[in-house]
Amino acid sequence: MSAAASLARAGGVVLARATATAVVVSAAVFAAVSALPSDAADTRTGGRASAETLAQLRETLGLDAPLWQRWGRWTTTILNGDWGRSLVTDRPVVDLVAPRLQATAVLTAVAVALAVPLALALALAAGTTRPRSARRWAAFATAGAAVPQTVVVAVLVVVLSGLLSWLPPLSLLPPGGSPAGRPDLLVLPALALALPAAAWAGGLLGGAVADAWSAPHVRDAVARGVTGWRLRTRHVLPFVLSPAIRAVAVVTAGTATSAAVVETMLGYQGLGELLVTAVAGRDTPVVAAVGLIGALVVVAGTALADLAAAVVEVRRDHR
Amino acid sequence: MRSAWPTAAVFAVVLAGGLLAPHDPVAVSGLPFTAPGGDHLLGTDVLGRDVLSRSLTGGAGLVVLAALAGAVTCGIGVACGLVAGWRGGWANRVITAVADVLTAVPVLLVALVIAIAVPGPVAVVAATVAGGAPLTAQIVRDATRSAKSAGWADAARCRGETTAALLVREVLPAMSGLVVAEAGLRFVLGLQLACTLTLLGFGAQPPAADWALMLRENLPGAAANPSAVAAPALLLATLACVVALALRSRRDAEVTA
Repeated sequence: MSAAASLARAGGVVLARATATAVVVSAAVFAAVSALPSDAADTRTGGRASAETLAQLRETLGLDAPLWQRWGRWTTTILNGDWGRSLVTDRPVVDLVAPRLQATAVLTAVAVALAVPLALALALAAGTTRPRSARRWAAFATAGAAVPQTVVVAVLVVVLSGLLSWLPPLSLLPPGGSPAGRPDLLVLPALALALPAAAWAGGLLGGAVADAWSAPHVRDAVARGVTGWRLRTRHVLPFVLSPAIRAVAVVTAGTATSAAVVETMLGYQGLGELLVTAVAGRDTPVVAAVGLIGALVVVAGTALADLAAAVVEVRRDHR
Repeated sequence: MRSAWPTAAVFAVVLAGGLLAPHDPVAVSGLPFTAPGGDHLLGTDVLGRDVLSRSLTGGAGLVVLAALAGAVTCGIGVACGLVAGWRGGWANRVITAVADVLTAVPVLLVALVIAIAVPGPVAVVAATVAGGAPLTAQIVRDATRSAKSAGWADAARCRGETTAALLVREVLPAMSGLVVAEAGLRFVLGLQLACTLTLLGFGAQPPAADWALMLRENLPGAAANPSAVAAPALLLATLACVVALALRSRRDAEVTA
């Protein structure tokens, strides 16, 4: 098979699998959200309405149809670009989600941009040929990945804001919700997201780097007298490209969802904070929309990683 | 098992720490956010309660909950992995498909939704199962598959042992190291989820002494009394790191052995 044909084939498989997962995941998200007790009719009336009013309101909001029908209606309207209205505030879900999505996207991008070089440095340190320092760095990565996200946020706030007073303890965005004009507000949440992610990915990639060091072409390069930076970037890193892309995809998806904790603790008005408030208010359309976005980010990340791995593989096979 | 001692010591301190508390952990005994000194070695918290006493008391509940979540998750994951690996065929396909979907749904969303339907601790266990069991099942499935093709499993089958007896008495002990490592990893996941849910307001409720709750309550006073946040944060970090590192040294020992 030619390189283009096998690439197209691999791409088709990845795309088909991602689409199937996306459909199933949307059903799972919808089912999970529908399982919330006390629906929006209760929430809106504050639990004081009569049974008749509740039944009428449920009919108006379309809450009385069977689950699969509501899922079908929900997916078709979403595909048409209509995300529905918030059950609590009656505002269009798109208006609620769009600024939050932007804020979280900026935060995630900064966090990933911080995490990737940190993770690569840690992986190179943990995958070195000197066993003692390798073990020390790998242990450091393991420990860093185990620390709960809440603790990372708390320690960063105590040190950077409490003891050093370099940064405000809360990252409250100005009205309108764009973090672009206030880069200082991004430092705490981005660091809090990036550090555990970098530790996790660094530990994972450390193994791949160690394998690459023992590969024949690297030993050959060492024998030819290639050392230092050149050896690492030219001979070791290309070998760990495929697992690295996978790790970056997982880290991106992970930060997009673990942003909820960081955003809530720091008052950063992002998608995760919206999810938490929407769940607390039983605002099903908002929860479903945010949940779906989060799940689709994970699915898309996995698909991109699969695709990148396929490209790397095909190029290796057809060299 | 040299590595077991520090872990055991940390767990003993966490579980029995309440006995050493100098003050009542839920009683107000001073002004809010007093700096460390005098009667209060680590100062006071948002309501004027003794931070040292609350820190000593606040880990037991978390550890028990995380251990329970880890054990249940590991149990379910191992059972699914054994069945999928041994039976193969449709059992494997169904379990793999369910695991794939569960991995694609964000754990936090699952945890939040469950937390509304059921009390916090149950939600922590359920969410740990949803987030961790698929990973355990995958690893155990692969190990079971290679065990199935090994000679000793065939030998046991020829002796006439039933599949269940074979799995429990022969296959499971052969991968005990793997199972312990998985249990530890799921314990850490349970601990992380317990902290997250508490922080978001769905877990431990005031006035309970709980490390994650202390982080939430005392973060606004981080400038006045940093130790009110630092003490529970360091204790949580130590607990998670000790477990993760113990697993690591265990695995290293297994690899070099």
